[in-house]
Amino acid sequence: MSLGTASLADVERPGWRVATEGWLPALILAFAAVLAWEAAVRVFSVSPYIVPAPSAIVAALWREWPTLASATLVTAREILIGFVVSAVVGIALALLIVRFDWLGRALYPLIVLFQNVPKVALAPIFILWFGYDLAPKIGLITVIAFFPVTLSMLAGMESVDPSLLALMRSVGTGATDILFKIRVPHSLPQLMAGLKIAATFSVIGAIVGEFAGASAGLGYTIQFASTQLDTALVFAALALVSVLGVGFYYLVELVETIAVPWAPKFNRD
Amino acid sequence: MPLSALRPMEPKPDRAAALIRTEALSVTLGRGTGRQEILHDIDLAVPEGAFVCLIGPSGCGKSTLLKALGGLVLPSAGRVTVAGLEPAEAARRRMIGLVFQDANLLPWKNALDNVALLRGIADKSLSRAELRERAQAMLDLVELGDAARRRPHELSGGMRQRVAIARALALDPAVLLMDEPFGALDAITRDAMSRSLLDIWQRTGKTIILVTHSIEEAVYLASEVHVMGIRPGRIIETLHVPLPYPRGDAVLDSAEFGQAERRLRALLRLSHQPGDGR
Repeated sequence: MSLGTASLADVERPGWRVATEGWLPALILAFAAVLAWEAAVRVFSVSPYIVPAPSAIVAALWREWPTLASATLVTAREILIGFVVSAVVGIALALLIVRFDWLGRALYPLIVLFQNVPKVALAPIFILWFGYDLAPKIGLITVIAFFPVTLSMLAGMESVDPSLLALMRSVGTGATDILFKIRVPHSLPQLMAGLKIAATFSVIGAIVGEFAGASAGLGYTIQFASTQLDTALVFAALALVSVLGVGFYYLVELVETIAVPWAPKFNRD
Repeated sequence: MPLSALRPMEPKPDRAAALIRTEALSVTLGRGTGRQEILHDIDLAVPEGAFVCLIGPSGCGKSTLLKALGGLVLPSAGRVTVAGLEPAEAARRRMIGLVFQDANLLPWKNALDNVALLRGIADKSLSRAELRERAQAMLDLVELGDAARRRPHELSGGMRQRVAIARALALDPAVLLMDEPFGALDAITRDAMSRSLLDIWQRTGKTIILVTHSIEEAVYLASEVHVMGIRPGRIIETLHVPLPYPRGDAVLDSAEFGQAERRLRALLRLSHQPGDGR
């Protein structure tokens, strides 16, 4: 927002309209929802096995903190490594497809075909192949999350204005120079959008991977707590998964702001 | 950078002295039933140092002609030469500077690096400092010397187009090929750009071929205007503009200017009629 419009808002808007600015609407709505939830659970005396009150979830979070903290670290590590591997694989595939035309024509249909395999169903196979540790989770995250990276980078690299390419080629610019000096930087805003999707997919991949077989992590905690009918702990772990997801998302967005300052931004102008 | 003194330009119809030349150039594009002759039997001779405008209705192939001159489109019959070379070869030797309607700047590079980009790729003999020095000189020439560090999104449409012109000039080409370079700009900016372009032309002595569909722009800028007709795209008339350079604002009010405008307008009315019963 420019200074001009901000001062205009000060003049024209009544004081209570401050509540509709910035983050405040979201906070107010969230707070109201939690309050309504707490009230509903108490008024209708809902069984804590079905839906625990927010206060019970906070209590579980406090009581089980050491366990939950170490579970969070395990899952965060899986997400981070899985995300990085997905990004590397996704970017490498996109580069190969664009740089080598014949390879692109061979690879692209297979990648699309593979994308239609329900990858959650691969989790048991990965457990079979790679055991119960980190490896099967990384594998599962990668097969889930590389696709949006490849697709968004491809779209970005192919959306270079044809007359710019004509201009570059007219002075004898080679294919490798066009790829790395024009197509790759041009694709960065779209690549970052793909990486944000991959970040959220990585969280899903980690949790599904832990559901299929694990001895630690938030997904494992959720599964274990639900067998114990400790629904409050399930919700507490779920809250931490969400925090992790949001954290990763904004980490990628932070990288974007630093690395691609010319990217179009929603909600900024 | 040597800036030649302002010099009056005489249109030279002498074909032997032509820098750019087409002989019976035809261009056919598309495949199968979509195949269409875009340009038919074009004979063109552009003398060195001339400022030539191509004008005509939409679909007359003026952009295609410009692309053929720049080696971006291949002739299906006839030939094109730039200083005696195939256009694509001339372009590789940095003899052709291209400017399109869209400035096509790289948003991640500042104005100076955008100007240096093509020269840096096409000419490995310059050191980085020499390259930057040259780019800065070109920015000075297009009156953007103090905007060197600004990125494209911090520049206005007219300024971006000036950067694109500087980028083309940085190649030190023999000819500038410009495809409606001011087409996306507002009227006031267009006028300012036209004046600047004439100034740049006179200071650098480049040959310029500019596609436009503004009658006023064509008469104000060009020493020679080629009027093109449609179906198929062809040159129906060549108009010499008898106004001396430098052309100040007074030229716009002169009787000769009005006369040339009227003549061009009449020719353009004719240009909408398909030729040869096609």
